[in-house]
Amino acid sequence: MLSFIIKRLLHMIPILLGVSLITFFLMALTPGDYFTQLSMNPQISPEKLAQLRAEQHLDKPWYIRYLYWLKDAAHGNLGYSAAYKASVSDLITSRLWNTFLLSFAATLLAWCVAVPLGIWAAVQKDSWVDRLCSLIAFVGLSIPDVLLALLALMFAAATGLFPVGGAQSSLYDLMSPGEQIWDRLHHLILPTIVLAASELAGIMRQMRSNMLDALRSEFVTTARAKGIPEGWVIYKHVLRNAINPLLTIFGYSLAGLLSGAFIVENIMAWPGLGRLTMEALSAKDYPLVVAGVVMAAALLVIGNFIADLLLAWSDPRIRLK
Amino acid sequence: MPLLEIKNLKLDFIAGDKSLRAVDDVSITINAGETVCLVGESGCGKSVTALSIARLVPTPPARYVGGEILLNGRDVLKMSKTDLRGIRGGVVSYIFQDPSASLNPVFRIGNQIKESLKLHRPEKATDEEVIRLLKLVGIPAPESRIKDYPHQMSGGMQQRVMIAMALASEPKLLVADEPTTALDVTIQAQILDLLLDLKKRMGMSILLITHNLGIVGDMADRVAVMYAGQVVEMSPALDLLRRPLHPYTKALMNSVPKLSSNLQRLSAIPGNVPTLGNFPSGCRFYPRCPSAQPECANTMPQLVEVEPNRWVRCLYAKSL
Repeated sequence: MLSFIIKRLLHMIPILLGVSLITFFLMALTPGDYFTQLSMNPQISPEKLAQLRAEQHLDKPWYIRYLYWLKDAAHGNLGYSAAYKASVSDLITSRLWNTFLLSFAATLLAWCVAVPLGIWAAVQKDSWVDRLCSLIAFVGLSIPDVLLALLALMFAAATGLFPVGGAQSSLYDLMSPGEQIWDRLHHLILPTIVLAASELAGIMRQMRSNMLDALRSEFVTTARAKGIPEGWVIYKHVLRNAINPLLTIFGYSLAGLLSGAFIVENIMAWPGLGRLTMEALSAKDYPLVVAGVVMAAALLVIGNFIADLLLAWSDPRIRLK
Repeated sequence: MPLLEIKNLKLDFIAGDKSLRAVDDVSITINAGETVCLVGESGCGKSVTALSIARLVPTPPARYVGGEILLNGRDVLKMSKTDLRGIRGGVVSYIFQDPSASLNPVFRIGNQIKESLKLHRPEKATDEEVIRLLKLVGIPAPESRIKDYPHQMSGGMQQRVMIAMALASEPKLLVADEPTTALDVTIQAQILDLLLDLKKRMGMSILLITHNLGIVGDMADRVAVMYAGQVVEMSPALDLLRRPLHPYTKALMNSVPKLSSNLQRLSAIPGNVPTLGNFPSGCRFYPRCPSAQPECANTMPQLVEVEPNRWVRCLYAKSL
């Protein structure tokens, strides 16, 4: 088991190298860099610009730049953001935490609501519960995140029940620790709901169809024929088999939340990794973009890794030798 | 009093606004210690009849329309859910066609057998009892097998586990629904021998469902032949094999290949079993019957005792 974990972690290295290489290459295909806009400024001399570019190796071809970046990254230095005038590592760390918090809360909410609803809908197939769940899923899947995020902002602005965007109040630093926690939670609620909404619909439908598949299995008849009470049949025999396909989805859902988070973070002004990367992209702040994309890729790989571990734990048929 | 008495059972499947009769007026009795075979082609209603004994056919889509299923004198169709759970496993146990699908893939076999024990003999829900049961059904090294998952065993071993699980609750009646169809031929014989042996040792009754007349002679005391939801012939096993009375039984017997004969081709019954809802009027077998008469298309024959203990559903049973 331990060797499997180590092997999977080692597999991450080529994936992340590939992602960073492709990102560098794609960035090189687009014209201009962060300093292009500064060249419009008459106060900055062309010599100064050339010097700034040389500091970031922007005067060299992209593959040479990539090797420089790789050398620094190997030493734990992800470069310097010219736009933020700060080290990329510091910027990413604080933002990563915010994104992680939002993604985690949204995943938790989506799964905690979707799985029981999916089970309920399957057990009560064709009842009003099932129809209501279908309707919720349909609405959830149809409304784009962008619209839902805007609606949430309108709701917050109209009612004043929730803060309109951001991750903390302007007075955050003056609050007591208890108030600080409440303030963070208060800011977290709306983005979490928005992010969880579309995710929830998919998981719920998936759970329902997995349950229905498992309910049709012959081992369910066996279990009933033994005289097992129906609740026990469903929560022991059916559920354990229905949950396995969902664990695979769990890995992808982590990645999906991150890409969904790009949109939600931008609209709801959530200072996360997605928003940081988007801003860096439009400012052509290379080191930040690469670091942001690599981090997102790493989260995806880790998500899949966790899903594989969970699946191996849950399903003896694919358990690792 | 017979152990099981199915009287005029009628069961429909509801499909949209139509209801399709899958089991029509079936009556079967099984005495204590007796082995009864239920024979027929796929889709003739044998499995549904067998599952009905413990009311295991899901409703919906099925609906019990009429009749009684008396198990130890109590009507299963009128039981409360709690009583029903006592019957399931407690009085009647099941083994099914495909053991790899009938065992839950994510639980260890010891766990699944112990489940039966916990429900019906809680004082015996121990590893020792599970090991004893595994030994009883002929699983080698049961001490180490108890921790196996179903996929780690062969089909024959899985079916033995199913049998051990069925016997764990010490049932009066074991319903074996085509228990050897999914297994290869050498294993089939072993499983059938095991069932006969266990029947003698535990004194239970067996309802064996099969579409293979070849195993009837070795196993059964009595045989019921089903066609299109009805029992068409019911008879002591040896009498039926020596001299079948219903044209359908005769046709079935003709399609069993014999080692002695020099057949170039197997004989088959022309046509197919009519699908649910498309049963012909009159006798349901007449479109495929080699000895059909004009009257067969109009009159539904009744199951009548044409000779002592021999019941046949054919207008011309006596003259054929």
